[in-house]
Amino acid sequence: MIGISGTGANAADRRDRRFGYAMATPSLLVLFLIILFPVISALFTSLHDYTLIAPNFDTFTGLTNFKLALGDAEFRHSAWLTLRFVIGVVALEFLIGFAVALMLNKVERFKPIYYAILLCPLLMNPVIVGLIWRMFLHPNLGIVNYLLSTIGIDPVNWLGDTKIAIWTVILVDIWHQVSFMIVLLLAGLSSLPKEPYEAARVDGANAFQCFIHITLPMMRTVIVVTLLIRLIFAVKTYDLIYIMTRGGPGTATDFVSYFIYRTAFVSLNVGEASAMSIILLTAILGLTVYLYRYMRSIN
Amino acid sequence: MLKQLLLGSVMALGFIGSAAAEPVNILMEGVPDTEYVKALVPEFTKETGIEVNLEVVNYAEMHTKLVPQLVSPKGSYSAIVVDFYWVGEFAKAGWMQPLDDRIKADNFDTSPYIPAMMDLVGKVNGTTYMLPFYNYAMGLTYRTDLLADAKNQADFKTKYGMDLKVPETWDEYQKQVEFFTKDGFYGAVNQGLRPDPIAMEWSNYLFANGGEYHDADWKPTLNTPAGVKALEQYTNSINKYGPVGSASFGFDEAFNVMAQGKAYSYITYNFFRTAYDDPSKSAVVGKVEIMPVPGVSPDKGGSLNGAWGWAIPKSSPNPDDAWTFLKWVESKEITKKRALAGGSPTRTDVFDDADVLAKYPYYPALKKLLLTSHNFAVFTYTPQLVEVLGRELSLAVAGEKTPADALAAVEVEFTELAKKDGKLK
Repeated sequence: MIGISGTGANAADRRDRRFGYAMATPSLLVLFLIILFPVISALFTSLHDYTLIAPNFDTFTGLTNFKLALGDAEFRHSAWLTLRFVIGVVALEFLIGFAVALMLNKVERFKPIYYAILLCPLLMNPVIVGLIWRMFLHPNLGIVNYLLSTIGIDPVNWLGDTKIAIWTVILVDIWHQVSFMIVLLLAGLSSLPKEPYEAARVDGANAFQCFIHITLPMMRTVIVVTLLIRLIFAVKTYDLIYIMTRGGPGTATDFVSYFIYRTAFVSLNVGEASAMSIILLTAILGLTVYLYRYMRSIN
Repeated sequence: MLKQLLLGSVMALGFIGSAAAEPVNILMEGVPDTEYVKALVPEFTKETGIEVNLEVVNYAEMHTKLVPQLVSPKGSYSAIVVDFYWVGEFAKAGWMQPLDDRIKADNFDTSPYIPAMMDLVGKVNGTTYMLPFYNYAMGLTYRTDLLADAKNQADFKTKYGMDLKVPETWDEYQKQVEFFTKDGFYGAVNQGLRPDPIAMEWSNYLFANGGEYHDADWKPTLNTPAGVKALEQYTNSINKYGPVGSASFGFDEAFNVMAQGKAYSYITYNFFRTAYDDPSKSAVVGKVEIMPVPGVSPDKGGSLNGAWGWAIPKSSPNPDDAWTFLKWVESKEITKKRALAGGSPTRTDVFDDADVLAKYPYYPALKKLLLTSHNFAVFTYTPQLVEVLGRELSLAVAGEKTPADALAAVEVEFTELAKKDGKLK
């Protein structure tokens, strides 16, 4: 009796599982096609001498494109610059975002209004953000330098100075993207249970101790996910650069995405551009795996 | 019943659609000259019954939109407009149809075109692929009221021992730039944004100093006394005689500085000349004039030439209709109408037309500008050269490289590109 019912249950289980796979197969297939096909095609292209002037896969060049890319001082420079930019924006946006989220978490009234205001920059197209700020930051005719002049500060060369330009881009990116951090972190904060805080209060913990010993540990997963998403987006920053500086002045803001774009669509060298994209993809993938592992290890 | 009715009407509509001739589709850039064409298109449709669709986009999108259509066996564009940048590349890739047979069959006269225009956006190695559409050669725009001011004239005479007047040579102009820079007013405003704004503008400085991009064998001639001097002057113009931030200005920002009356001069595309007289854009209406960029001597010009040409791609779905349109839009009558609306002509007969001259008294200056202008290095890899040039010039302006080092770096990459293209042996 037990045996029979056991096999019966197993057979039903198996049928269920098979049915489940059958139902999932089409969507998995579509997903693979949409996501994997471009990646494989890029990989394939990167191994050939493929240019838009002669768009064919006649010449197999092996790893030559990768060697060319890695040997290119301009590419290495832009990769290094991108890394510094990413660390800069993600760290700053996280600090500001977390601080604002903590403050907003305490707010009881008019929360939707705060949300609405905060979401405004996020809803804007990066191209528009770039154009608006280019106007605001115009050294002679822009409002920012005008306001600074009213308190006696000399005009700042926001986008024309090699030392300042990257900070200007970082500032604009923070203005644009910090709300993303705030919204995600705030969602995490508001879903935290109230009980541990009440218990801590009873035990006499102050606000700072609550933050260090309760909020941070419980928020860790949310923080890692937020950082990860923001990190990946920051590496891909292209539109702001395209609109605001075109990589200049000199090569002060020549980020890797813009560099790859130029290799593909100005130099028409799609093969080498694909190799660069694969290098970039590997770097992001490595970082993602590492952070994902880290997240798993703390849970 | 309703369903059948709907289905039937949709099918009927489909048949009607396919029965009518395919319209002539053209991808164009959103610039004034495109607007003038657009305004005249209804006349063409009325005459010939051929519909014309102009898809107008931003310059930055054009190349990326065109290439996939040109590569495919049958694209969606009947005709295209080609920037002189792309001519080498498009010709090399074989994307354009030769027009010689059509020109001969219809007796279309190409002799009125200014020869430099035909060289730039007409013929490639003896084959006609394009008809020149409009020119955007660069000129020197300067403040006439400041030159006419008696006090300025006296001061200039004491300082330099020469009269203050419309500059005849590049050195004279450089003195004026220095002279006018004082008390928050600038001698010149520059467009230092990389890659094309800076590369295009600096080219005028190169030509004005008697330099060229390459010799007859395509050997680069940039790291020469003329090239280095041109880059030193350009760097000074931005850092000493120009407003803060001009190292990152595109042409619109630089134009605004000039139009707000904050600078004496700006070397820019000639189609901006009309905008100076538009009170909604300019605070210096009637005070700005254009002239060819002066050269080493009064008979030599230093202007950079630039132009767009009409072409029919190999992938054109209806090349015959496209040719009918090209023939019409480049006819004397229509080019004259476009010029009267404010367009930048490429034909001598339009420049010399009495009605056009009556409306725009500065057209002789524009014609002289075109006749004395110099061409950029046009070959398959022009866009790459602009990219490299933009980067290195920008580094020199930022003070991170000396002019000689920057130009040496350009020469190395230029040599590689010219070799790759088979121009340099």
